Amino acid sequence: MSAKQNSRKSKWALDFNVSKNADIPSPAGYNPTALVNQTEIVRDQRLVIKKSWDLALGPLKQIPMNLFIMYMSGNSISIFPIMMVGMMLIRPIKAMFTTQVTSKMAEGAQGTGQRIVYILGNLANVGLALYKCHSMGLLPTHASDWLAFVEPQTRLEYYGGGISFI
Amino acid sequence: MADAHFLAGALTSAMLVLLSTTVVVNGLYEDQIKKFDWRSMHVGAAKHIHVDLNHFQPRLLLGTHEQVVASICPKTGEIGWRQVLEQKARGDIKLLQVSGFADDSSDTAAAPVGTHLGFDMLTVQGHAPALVRGWNTNTGTIEWEWSVMPLNTERAQDAHWFYSNSLLYHVVPTWRSHLEVTAYFGTSGHTTGSTSKIMAAWIKPESCLLSGTFFVCVDGKQLISLDLVAKSTQVIATTLDTEPTSKVQALAGLNGVLVVNRKLVSVNKAQTVCDTLQSSSYAVGTFNYRKIVAYGDLAEGVLKIKAAYLDNCAPVPELDQSLTFNADYGTPSLRSFDCKLKRNGDGKSCLFVFSTSAESIVAVQQNRVRWVREEALANVVDSQFIDLPLADSEGTLENEMKGKSVDATGFETDIASAFLRRITTQAIQIKSLFLHVIGLGPPPTDTQRAGLVRDSFGLHKMLVLLTRSGKIFGIDNIIGKHHWQLYLPNVVGFGNDENMRLIVQRTSKHFPLQPLCTIVAKDLSTGNGVLYRFNPITGRAAEGGLLQLDYQIKQLSLLPEAEPDFVKGILLLDATNKVHVHPKHATQLADGMYLYTADVKTSELAGYFVKYAGEKLSTTPIWTVHLCGHNNEQKIVAVAGKSSIEHVHSQGRVLGDRSVLYKYINPNLVAVITQAPDALHKSILNLYLIDVVSGSIVFTMTHRKVRPPVHIVHSENWLAYSYYNDKVRRTEITTIELYEGKTQANSSVWSSLKAPMMPLVERQSYIIPTVVEALRETITERGITNKHVLIGTANGAIIEMPWALLDPRRPIASTTQGREEGAIPYIPELPLPTENFINYNQTIARLRNIYTAPSGLESTCLVVATGLDLFVTRVAPSKTFDLLKEDFDYILISIVLVALTSGSLIVRHLASRKLLKQAWK
Repeated sequence: MSAKQNSRKSKWALDFNVSKNADIPSPAGYNPTALVNQTEIVRDQRLVIKKSWDLALGPLKQIPMNLFIMYMSGNSISIFPIMMVGMMLIRPIKAMFTTQVTSKMAEGAQGTGQRIVYILGNLANVGLALYKCHSMGLLPTHASDWLAFVEPQTRLEYYGGGISFI
Repeated sequence: MADAHFLAGALTSAMLVLLSTTVVVNGLYEDQIKKFDWRSMHVGAAKHIHVDLNHFQPRLLLGTHEQVVASICPKTGEIGWRQVLEQKARGDIKLLQVSGFADDSSDTAAAPVGTHLGFDMLTVQGHAPALVRGWNTNTGTIEWEWSVMPLNTERAQDAHWFYSNSLLYHVVPTWRSHLEVTAYFGTSGHTTGSTSKIMAAWIKPESCLLSGTFFVCVDGKQLISLDLVAKSTQVIATTLDTEPTSKVQALAGLNGVLVVNRKLVSVNKAQTVCDTLQSSSYAVGTFNYRKIVAYGDLAEGVLKIKAAYLDNCAPVPELDQSLTFNADYGTPSLRSFDCKLKRNGDGKSCLFVFSTSAESIVAVQQNRVRWVREEALANVVDSQFIDLPLADSEGTLENEMKGKSVDATGFETDIASAFLRRITTQAIQIKSLFLHVIGLGPPPTDTQRAGLVRDSFGLHKMLVLLTRSGKIFGIDNIIGKHHWQLYLPNVVGFGNDENMRLIVQRTSKHFPLQPLCTIVAKDLSTGNGVLYRFNPITGRAAEGGLLQLDYQIKQLSLLPEAEPDFVKGILLLDATNKVHVHPKHATQLADGMYLYTADVKTSELAGYFVKYAGEKLSTTPIWTVHLCGHNNEQKIVAVAGKSSIEHVHSQGRVLGDRSVLYKYINPNLVAVITQAPDALHKSILNLYLIDVVSGSIVFTMTHRKVRPPVHIVHSENWLAYSYYNDKVRRTEITTIELYEGKTQANSSVWSSLKAPMMPLVERQSYIIPTVVEALRETITERGITNKHVLIGTANGAIIEMPWALLDPRRPIASTTQGREEGAIPYIPELPLPTENFINYNQTIARLRNIYTAPSGLESTCLVVATGLDLFVTRVAPSKTFDLLKEDFDYILISIVLVALTSGSLIVRHLASRKLLKQAWK
C-alpha cells in the first residue's frame, strides 16, 4: 500500500537530488508502449498480407479436393453429381464477382498479384467444373448435340412414275 | 471361359428384360375398345344368292366372288354368319345348292335333322381338288366334306357341277371332243358307277354353259343342247330368231331354260316358258303356291319389277313394284326373290334381291329399297384422308390471315385497314353467335349439318375410298358413316395389275376454295385414259367431272401447286411417250420434271426428262436400265418409292461415341426387286436401289433360294421387305439402312445429278413367324415421331413393329457401343406380342393393304386397313406426347390449384396481421 502511495507520490513529486546522469522520466502523457506498438503494426501488416495470400490461394487449394469429389461422384447423370457440378461451377463464379470486397484489405503492393492469383484459381475451378460437365456429357460439344438443328436438304429434282400401265 | 459365357448370357437376358420394358407397348385398355377404331365386314360381290323366307329362320344365303359363304338377315341386311374360304382357284365357288329349293328337276335332299344323310346347303369349290361341303345354314358350320381329285387337272378347270335327284354330277368337257360325266351321291361322295363319256365334237370353250341338267352350246343361230341325266344322250337343236348379241345365260331354277337376247328360251321339251317376256334379268320362285318368273329392269332411274305365272304367262299384279333407284348403285340384275307362303298373299312380304354392277346387294320390298350392302368395299384399291372444311367463323378468320399475308409488303400503310377488318370480322362473329343463340342464324351448310367440320386436332377426316368396281365412297373416319358415294361405270384398273389412282389435287387448306380429288383410270371399252374430278367432301363432280382422254396412260405424276387456284397438276405420260398436263394452266410447272417407267414384261426401266419450251412440253429419254439378266429371266416383282408427303426430321443417327452418322436421304431413290428361277438355287431375288433421276444403281443385293410374295416399305433412309425363304420355309424380313457417313457431302441441297459418294449400307434379316400380307410405315405431320412399320398378316392382324426391332444396326455381339447407341442386341426372331396387334381381336379378313396418313397431331397417324373387311384406326408410335391422357384428372388439378392459391392468399393476410401486432408490442 505504502509502495503504491510512494509511487503515486513519486508521480507528482520532483526529486531534484537525482543526478543528471540518471534517466530522465518520460514527460507527462508520454506512453512508452507507443514504440512497441509500431513494430507490432508492421508485424500485423505482414500477417494481413499472408492472410490475403491465403485467401487468394484458397481456390487453388480447393482443386485437389474438387478433383477427389469429381472422381468420387462418377460420370453418371443423376441428381447428386449434377448438384455437385452445379455447385462447383457456381461457387467460383460467385467468388469472382465478390473479389473486390475480399481484396479491399489487401490493397497495397501485392494486391493486384493476389487478385490475379485469386481469379486464376477460380477460373481453374470453373475449368474443372466444365471438364466435369464435359466428361458427364452435359456440354454440347459433339456434332450430335446440334443434330436437331440440321435442316433437311432441299431437293432440286422431282420425279414421278412407276410400273408402266401398258 | 465358361464364366464369360455366363456373363454374356446374363447380359443378354438383362437386355431382353430391358427390351421388353423400353420398347413402346401400344396395347389398348379394355375401355378403349372401339373408341378409336371401327370395322365394317363385307362378303364381296354376290355370285350365288338364295333367299328363303319360309324357313323357320328366314335367311339369305350367299356365295360370292370373294369366295365367301355367308348368311344374311333378310330384314336388315346384316351378316348372320360368314365363312371366308380358301383363296385363289382352290376356293372358287362353282355350285351353291340349297336343299328344299323349289326346283322340279331336283328333289329335295332334306333329311331329318341330325342325320348325316341330308344337307342344308351344299357347295362345290375349286377344281383340283374339288371340295364338296355340306353346311349347316343356321350356324354356318361345315357338317361334312369330301373331295375329288381329277385325273386331268387342266381340263377340270372348265368343269361344271350340277345337282339332280340326290346326285351330284361332275361334268368335265374336253373341248371339241367329248364330255365326261361322273355322278356322286351328294352327301357321301361315293360314285354311282363309272364315268360316262359322251361324244360331242361341237363343244367350244367360249360358247357353252350348263342350264340345270342341260349342257348347251351356242352355234350361230342355233342352240345345241344335251340332257346329261337322260337315259339316251340325244342332241337337241333349238333354232333362235336371231343370233345372240350378248352372252347367253342360264336361268337358275328352271331346268334347261336360258336367257337369250333378253328373252327366255327353253331347250327342255318338258319345260315351257313365256317367250313374250323381255327383260335383262329373271328369277324364278313361287307365289301363292304357283310358280312364277319375276323380272326387273331399270329405265331412267326407275326400277320396275314385274312377274308372270309360269303356267299361263298371266301377269301377277300383286308383285308389280316400281321405285327410284339411285344411280350410284349401278345397274341391277334380279338374282333371287321369295314370298312368305300364304294363300291369296298380297305380295307385300316378297323380298327381291338384286346384285348390281357396282357390286352392291340391294333388297327391295314394297316399292322401296329395304337395305343395301356395299360389297364394293371388299375391293378397295386406293384411299386418301381429306381434311374437313373449316367452320364458318374459322373460315373468315382464315381469310383475314390470308389477306394479311398477301399485303405483307405494304404492312405499315395497311395496319389501319387490317385492324378495321379484324374488328368487323369479330363483330360479324359475335353477331352470328348471337343470331345462332336466338335461333335466327343462317341455316348450316350440308357438311356442317352432317357434322363434317374440322376438329382442333385434325383427327376427324373424310376417308375417300376408291374400289375396283369404280365406286367411290366418302366415309367418316371416326364413326364409319357413308356420307356420299359415287359410281363410275365403264372404268377399270390399268394393265400389269396396276390399280386406278385416287389423287388429291387440292387439299382443304385453301379456304374458300374447295378440295379437289381426281380419279385416274382406264376406259373399259376404248382403253384410253379417264379422269374424274370431284369434291371429296360433298362427293359431287367438280371442274366438269368426267374427262375422256384420247390417249392411253402409261404413267403419271403430280406437279407442285399452281397459282392462282392451288391445284396440283397431273402430268400424264402417254403410250407414245408424250406428256400432257391437267389442268392446262399448270403446264409450265412440268418443266424440269423427271419421269420413269418400269416395264414388268421386259424388266426394263426407262427415265425421261420433261422440258417446257415454246409453250409445249417434250420428253427426252435420258437413261434405261435393263434388269432382265443375261438370259432374260429376271422379272420385276415389286417397285417401291418413298411417300411424297414424307418429312424427315432427323438428318442423322447418334452413335455411341456421340458422333453423328448422317442419313443418306435420297428422295429420288426407288427400290426394285426382280425374281428369276435358278438352276442351282431354285429361285433368286435381286434388290436394286436405283436413283430414278440419274438412272444410277446405288446398291444391289441378291437373295438365293428365296421367292415371292414380296412386300416392300421404303421410307427415309431405310427399306424393309418381306419374302418367303424356300430353304428354311419361313417368311423373313430384310431391312436396309443407308448412311452418308460421318460428314454430309452437301448439307443444304440434294441433287441426284451431282451424285454424292456411294452410301454406307447396313443390312440385317429377321425371321417373322407369320405370313406377311402388307407392309406400311407410319407417317406423321413433321416426321418427329418415331416410325413404326405396320405389318399386316395373313391371319388378319396388324402388328405395329417398332423400327428399333427391325433396325439393321442391332449389334450381333453385345458391345458397349451398341448399347450406348440404344440398339437392342440382335435376335433373329421378331417378337410378336399381342399388345402390338393394333386391331386386337377385330380380325381383318383377307387383309390386302394398309394405308396411313398424318393427322393434325404430330404424335398420331391415321390408319386404314383394307381387304374383305375395312378397319380404320389411329396409332401413336411414340405415344400421345402432345395430348393429355384421356384419364387426366382435371378436377383434382383444378382443386389443387384453387386450394393452393387461396391458401397462399390467406396465409399472406395472416402473416401481415401478425407483423402488425408485433410492431405494436
